[in-house]
Amino acid sequence: MKTIPPACPEPDTGHKYWRSLDQLSDTPEFRQWAEREFPSGASELNDPVTRRDFVKIMSASFLLAGVGLTACRKPEEHIYPFSKMPEGYVHGVPQYYATSMPTRGTAIPLLAKSNDGRPTKVEGNTNHPDSNGGTDRFAQASVLNLYDPDRASRFTRAGSPAKQEDALEFLAQLSKKFQGNSGDGLCFLLERSSSVSRARLQKLISEKYSKAKWFIYEPVDLEIQRQAASRTFGKSVSPYYRLDEAEVVVALDCDFIGSEQDSYINIRRFAKARKLTNPSDTPNRLYAVEGLMTLTGVNADHRLRVPTSALAAVAARLGSKILEPSGSNDLVAALQPLAEPAKAHEKWIAECAKDLLAHKGKSLVLAGHRQPLAVHAIVNALNNALGNVGKTVVYREVPASSEGSISELAQLLNGNQVDTLVIFGGNPAYDAPADLDWGKAQKKAKTTVRLGYYEDETAALSDWHLPLAHYLESWGDARTGDGTLVSVQPLIEPLFGGVTEIEILARIGGLEKTSPYEIVRESFRGIAGESDEPWKKFLHDGFLANSAAQTVAVEFNSAAALVEIASLKPTAVATKESLEVVFHRDYSMDDGRFNNNGWLQELPDPVTKMVWENAMLMSIQTVKDLGLNVVDHEDGKLLVPWVKLQLGGRELEGPVWIQPGQADNTVGLALGYGRKQTGRIGRGSGYDAYRLRTAANPYFAVGAKLIPSGNTYEIACTQNHWSMEGRPIIREANLEQYRKKPDFVKGMDAPPSPSEEPMYPNPFDKVKGSALHQWGMAIDLNACVGCSACMVACQSENNIPIVGKNQVAKGRELHWIRIDRYYSGKPNDPQVVNQPMLCQHCEAAPCESVCPVNATVHDNEGLNVMVYNRCVGTRYCSNNCPYKVRRFNYFDYNKRPLDKLYYGPFAKRPDDELDIIKLVKNPDVTVRMRGVMEKCTFCVQRIEQAKISQKVKAGASGDVQVPTDSFTTACAQACPAGAIIFGNIADPKSAVSEWKKRDRNYTVLDFLATKPRLTYLARVRNPNPAMPDEYTNMPGSFSEYAEKSGNPLEGHGSAHGAGEGHPHGEAEKGAH
Amino acid sequence: MSDIFPKWTNKLPVRLLTGAFVVGTALTAGVWYYFTPKYTRVGYQPIQPVSFSHAVHVGQVGLDCRYCHSAVEKSWYSNIPTAGTCMNCHNQLLPTDTRLALVRESAQTGKTIPWVQIHKTPDYVYFNHSVHVNRGVSCVECHGQINQMDEVYHAKSFSMSFCLECHRNPAERLRPADKITDLNWKWDDDPKVAAQMQKVNGEKFMHDWKVESLQTCSACHR
Repeated sequence: MKTIPPACPEPDTGHKYWRSLDQLSDTPEFRQWAEREFPSGASELNDPVTRRDFVKIMSASFLLAGVGLTACRKPEEHIYPFSKMPEGYVHGVPQYYATSMPTRGTAIPLLAKSNDGRPTKVEGNTNHPDSNGGTDRFAQASVLNLYDPDRASRFTRAGSPAKQEDALEFLAQLSKKFQGNSGDGLCFLLERSSSVSRARLQKLISEKYSKAKWFIYEPVDLEIQRQAASRTFGKSVSPYYRLDEAEVVVALDCDFIGSEQDSYINIRRFAKARKLTNPSDTPNRLYAVEGLMTLTGVNADHRLRVPTSALAAVAARLGSKILEPSGSNDLVAALQPLAEPAKAHEKWIAECAKDLLAHKGKSLVLAGHRQPLAVHAIVNALNNALGNVGKTVVYREVPASSEGSISELAQLLNGNQVDTLVIFGGNPAYDAPADLDWGKAQKKAKTTVRLGYYEDETAALSDWHLPLAHYLESWGDARTGDGTLVSVQPLIEPLFGGVTEIEILARIGGLEKTSPYEIVRESFRGIAGESDEPWKKFLHDGFLANSAAQTVAVEFNSAAALVEIASLKPTAVATKESLEVVFHRDYSMDDGRFNNNGWLQELPDPVTKMVWENAMLMSIQTVKDLGLNVVDHEDGKLLVPWVKLQLGGRELEGPVWIQPGQADNTVGLALGYGRKQTGRIGRGSGYDAYRLRTAANPYFAVGAKLIPSGNTYEIACTQNHWSMEGRPIIREANLEQYRKKPDFVKGMDAPPSPSEEPMYPNPFDKVKGSALHQWGMAIDLNACVGCSACMVACQSENNIPIVGKNQVAKGRELHWIRIDRYYSGKPNDPQVVNQPMLCQHCEAAPCESVCPVNATVHDNEGLNVMVYNRCVGTRYCSNNCPYKVRRFNYFDYNKRPLDKLYYGPFAKRPDDELDIIKLVKNPDVTVRMRGVMEKCTFCVQRIEQAKISQKVKAGASGDVQVPTDSFTTACAQACPAGAIIFGNIADPKSAVSEWKKRDRNYTVLDFLATKPRLTYLARVRNPNPAMPDEYTNMPGSFSEYAEKSGNPLEGHGSAHGAGEGHPHGEAEKGAH
Repeated sequence: MSDIFPKWTNKLPVRLLTGAFVVGTALTAGVWYYFTPKYTRVGYQPIQPVSFSHAVHVGQVGLDCRYCHSAVEKSWYSNIPTAGTCMNCHNQLLPTDTRLALVRESAQTGKTIPWVQIHKTPDYVYFNHSVHVNRGVSCVECHGQINQMDEVYHAKSFSMSFCLECHRNPAERLRPADKITDLNWKWDDDPKVAAQMQKVNGEKFMHDWKVESLQTCSACHR
């Protein structure tokens, strides 16, 4: 009857594989942890309020309920209709508006959903010429910021509330005053923006106040590629990467998938070139050279680990190898001395260079924002020499910016030359370079006016603080990465009377038009003419067609590049006494601007899987060298060492976390945490890495010293187990292996016995053949880069609450979709694989048979549905789920105060929080209460909506089949890579049916015969066989598998007998 | 013996029995009524702020349901009309009638009229009006003969078994698409003929329109 799962004993010989930090010690606590159903603590009530207290209080409340005899009759409820119906409004039907979310320097085109006047969800605008409907984590989470109860909700003067009229009156006075002296002493500190209107106002104001000064500060500035291009190509241009055209990509400390400008576009283009339909296709090849383990490194075919400060040498070496044949002698001569320190990696670099030279015009070299201009100049020289300019990288003309830097502003402030400082957004008091001592400097301005979204550190130092409107409350405009003009239009009146940047600028400038709508309309007139029709279309579509910036031909100026290269300052070599510190943009907090966003705080970091804080990331070797105790398990808690880090006379304290694959003697510090003045969510999360950051070395510095404190600290991490234990959960092969045996995925698990019925037969198997709709999903692991946008999209769509750090540490997180990340190979140089894991919607679902109350059952279209009202919380279903995708509501997280999500069972969310937070909920999805199980529903609300609208359309006819691929789930819609496909598998024309027919299609744990509706397409790596690293024969996870269960490519394949639990390591060892 | 049992204990068995009987009857009656699907506000007839009569407007004047409940074919929600909708006629008709004072005030000032909700499904039920009325299910199936009600009351039980009764056998209720809002409509005046025609045509509609008998949880719960 049943298939015995394959045992996976450690092979006696061959490689020893490592699983997690604990593998280094293999403690009995860890063994116990690995064998548990739920992580330790998840299923126990060991909060400060004991079970005894609980029962005591509960009995009292039952008594009160009995005495009161309330709720005998249902309460009288009222319906309040409009007295006059707004035009085009139908209650209950969501409306969609095209808008866009401005980011630093660009924007993400969006389609925002409004449910009865409240924006609840954003999706990418598929009609935009440079969008596939995918978005990123930040766009998905931005809706929550709108309903943040801690956002600035009042005008303040010197910290006490002021009237809006008084604030505006003050601005009018300012304007009068500076009209008199042409803006003498007036300074503006801005963030990067692509707003056309802001640029126009800036110009108008500069004309009026000729002495006013403008400054721009971004703690993580993604403009360096533009600066480098402008210098080396002699005109103000901005690069645009056509990653889909590139067959070979070399990323030099460039996390273009995770933390560079417009990474969602990069992901889309990269994944496009990575996808495979059949064995004759060739996916692109990615080389990554980096110090930290980034998402780009995670996806690389070859990864070279060097400290961030040593990267220039690798770039120089690669540069001289490529430029030599093309005869750029003076450049080569300049690069050779710089290349010397990278001698150790000679073979790697030489082969990489060969590969690049073999792909002239079809390759791309990228450098990241942490690297100095010199490295970017080298990269530009390389792309030029490789003939990539105009092909895989195009340049678009952009207006040159002339604003000063924050250091210049600090100088003016310290010289008492600033009368009025106006700060738009940003948060310099928190994130300005530590050596500027911004707190003191800002105080030297006579008056400081700040427009900000939060009453944060900078607000505390400002004389006036004005609340900034959310982008979903504002009129505005922006340009996306390709230069297309996009609209920003409000879906809701400002909830707390917030004002926009352009309005305040116009008021200070004393301009005639101060209404943001009028300003944006005026700017648009300047671009598209007087007529109203283009404007209406612009608002309707969300973008102005054909407004993308023209690509221009550029000519490489090697003399200018030489100047940049000569300016490269040599850096010291990192050692364990003098560590290198790397400041990096956080995958969830960005530079700190999303610090008070619960969805992002709880989003596991795509690489470390840590939540709610940052840690000092170090390699295993470095941690050993420094004599730190790696990790400790105590009572199910994950304890890591707490240390002090000193750099340049400044110091900070924080926990240490081992990051496999990180360069030795490097410490990675994520920015954006450790805020002093933030909301209830962000308070107390992580340490503040800005305290070590100086204006001279904003991204990395060598010379730090680490002092162990002997204390430990508890970290919450959603995946501490790193290995697949040789099981074929993620199946991957190298391109050659795949070509040799395209269906290598078949038979990697023990085959289910064909003669036997599944253990848990599906009651609806009979209707399957005749049904109109059968829902299914497929995920292409070759396209998935692990960016986690799907997780936030799911959280937003399905009303998933946050549970807090303490609860995540107990394994009680509620994400319906998670990204499993596994390492394989050597701990210092691992290979990484990602796999989105969600309810598999098994046709023969093990969870259903064990539910005593029928709370989880099948429907006739193949969904495994949860009936919350029936669920009594036995959690048997989760116990019996082989994929561990079911989530349990241990508490009423929706009713908990935001800063006390785990404060015992009786904490109640205050009304001011509840009233606003509940506005973000999707009305089509039940908000679950304490004590019920939940899990992915395949967005059943979207399925039903699609069916209903088709039925409404059909009326009295039989045309009720939902059109092919006309809707999709939230995760699939948000995915910029297009890695997730959802649809009707009963429809042979649907994309999901097509994907499921491919040879790489496989089922996770198929020996259990659960027949999941979710299948995966195996990953195919494309390593360069000439490279001197380990993974040219087979991917790490694959050789791990082959060593334990036999190599399916070599004939033992389908009947390899994993079911016998017999290690084949001995036999196959010779093969690899 | 009197030392052990005081005098009042003589009546104790009778009292206990009476008490048990009263409590037992109350419990049985309570369970009988409240624990059955029948009890779901059937007969609930609150006093509305405006004494609007469906019997007059629909039964006598002959207004179509959709004139006022205009969203019923588009949305899950069937809207209550705005005061503006009422005033379309009532600025000519009975323009000074005191019964319409609230409506006029609402139309002028924008102040909303607090109608009392009668029909309501629980929050975890995602009932959708549009898909029912567009696919052959008449208003009358759930709301009863609203066209004959002076003051609207809850005519049918909205229990799950009530929904399932129809979902298990839609053929018994389906009617031609143009008769949805005609609440008096019958296949035939003779009940026997009508039943026969309902059976034949209902099954035909089921087949032609591909109407499913949706009984799985996800049809109504999400």
